[in-house]
Amino acid sequence: MEDWKLKPARDLGLPLGQRLRSVRRESGLIEGLAHRAWWVVLRSYLGLYHRLTISGIAHVPDRPPFVLVANHSSHLDAMVLAASMNRRLRDHVFPIAAGDTFFETPLLTAFAAYVLNALPLWRRNCGPHALAELRQRLVGEPCAFILFPEGTRSRDGCIAAFKPGLGMIVADTAVPVVPCYLAGAFESLPADRRWPHWHKITLSIGEPLVFESAKNDRAGWLEIARTTEAAVRRLGGETA
Amino acid sequence: MNTATRERLFGYDHAFDHPVTRVIVVAIVAVLVIVPAVIFALSIMGRIGDTQRAELKKRYISWLVLIPLMVGPVLLGAAWTIAAVAVLSLLCYREYARATGLFREKSISLVVVVGILAITFAVADNWYHLFAAISPLTVGGMAAIAIFADEPKGYIQRVGLGVLGFMLFGSGLGHLGGLANDANFRPLVLLLLLAVELNDVFAYIAGKSVGRRKLAPNTSPNKTIGGALGALVLTTILVAAGSHFVFRDTVLDRPSHLATLGVLVSVLGQLGDLMLSSVKRDLGIKDLGVTIPGHGGLLDRFDSLILVAPGVFHYVNYFLGVGLDEPTRIITGT
Repeated sequence: MEDWKLKPARDLGLPLGQRLRSVRRESGLIEGLAHRAWWVVLRSYLGLYHRLTISGIAHVPDRPPFVLVANHSSHLDAMVLAASMNRRLRDHVFPIAAGDTFFETPLLTAFAAYVLNALPLWRRNCGPHALAELRQRLVGEPCAFILFPEGTRSRDGCIAAFKPGLGMIVADTAVPVVPCYLAGAFESLPADRRWPHWHKITLSIGEPLVFESAKNDRAGWLEIARTTEAAVRRLGGETA
Repeated sequence: MNTATRERLFGYDHAFDHPVTRVIVVAIVAVLVIVPAVIFALSIMGRIGDTQRAELKKRYISWLVLIPLMVGPVLLGAAWTIAAVAVLSLLCYREYARATGLFREKSISLVVVVGILAITFAVADNWYHLFAAISPLTVGGMAAIAIFADEPKGYIQRVGLGVLGFMLFGSGLGHLGGLANDANFRPLVLLLLLAVELNDVFAYIAGKSVGRRKLAPNTSPNKTIGGALGALVLTTILVAAGSHFVFRDTVLDRPSHLATLGVLVSVLGQLGDLMLSSVKRDLGIKDLGVTIPGHGGLLDRFDSLILVAPGVFHYVNYFLGVGLDEPTRIITGT
């Protein structure tokens, strides 16, 4: 028999507020149940109201780790991507959310952590340290991130340039990056609207990209951002 | 449900019927009133520094919150006591699961939680046969549900951790709720809570004054044999004296039986403490949580109760029967 491997929760010893805001947060039974309930609600909502269709789901790896990246124009984006994952992956998928939007007030923080399973990234000081912590988590345990490399929601529906932060997370690792393109989310719920329109949403998932040979430096990060952006644009029907 | 049962479960106007209850509550209130004055006096006299005073204050405030949460439900009635024990069991299990990593096994955790709720139901129903049945059923449930992951590597560890967690916090602590099925539960439960907490204090004081040789240096470096023996003597006197009034005119009311009860409380209390220290040492962590400022996790505070509860329950049950004179199957019966 092997030796027992006792691995305390990574967030052990953090007070509740800090725990919910920590990228080391690990879900327990209550959060797990909340995520599952939310997943059911989301899938029904997206299926019925937005008639969500997904193509290329086979490109999503069976097991974490991986990173889903997509164009970002709506609060629905992360939900569409999260809801598209199968049940087994559900607890391991973490949308990376703007700390200054989702983790400021206690109520929203609780919602983001307990229900969305989001991890915070503060845009103001989104320095190498925060990204290094995310990178550490991604390679250290089986988890999957949902990331929008544009950094913010597009205000006109067009794709903006991808930021190199994505590169800092995946450069020089075997973690696959899965490019996705969302159509219809901007028309359904653009940044300046409170409630979603009825509008069809389609999600196209492309072949995973691996950046194992990319250098973990600025040039490598920019290259990763460029390659991923081109892949997402191709899925959206743009020719590079 | 007859009137007597309803009164036991919800009859808060009987809170102070028993003299032992009155004495304990008055003593606790008195100590809570005196302690701030003592801390103040000590700091004026320069006997303690600012950091020590801040630490004592933090601990005192924690007690100020904890004591009503512990004593309040017992005074309010058996239903509240049973519910409070259930909450304690669940929170203790949560700390344990997060510390050992068992929380990652959602299906096993779910079985433990269902087991704890089922134990609570059995206690509230005063149906001892169900209470006894739940432990093997829950253990079997964990062993069965863990198969479905189809991952034999680590199976023994996952199920083993689940079984230990359920037996300690579900079944073990559940016996404390079980004591509330006795018609005369208030003085006994309060005496136990008081004795278990004072047992720690006695061990600390005795250890400071006469303790030299270490008790278990690898497990808990600060504990001494002197402290353990001091606590044994003092707690035994306290429990024997208190329970003489609780069990007056019963077969338990004999010096040897009462002293044995006292020894049980002290020894099992200290063993519970050391048990949790062993768990923490094994995991390489200092505190199991941050629930109570100045104390650490809930388990750091309630570890001593875990072994005392079943020990005392079955000791009393052997001589007198717990809840036997009360109607059984309150909820499931017809």
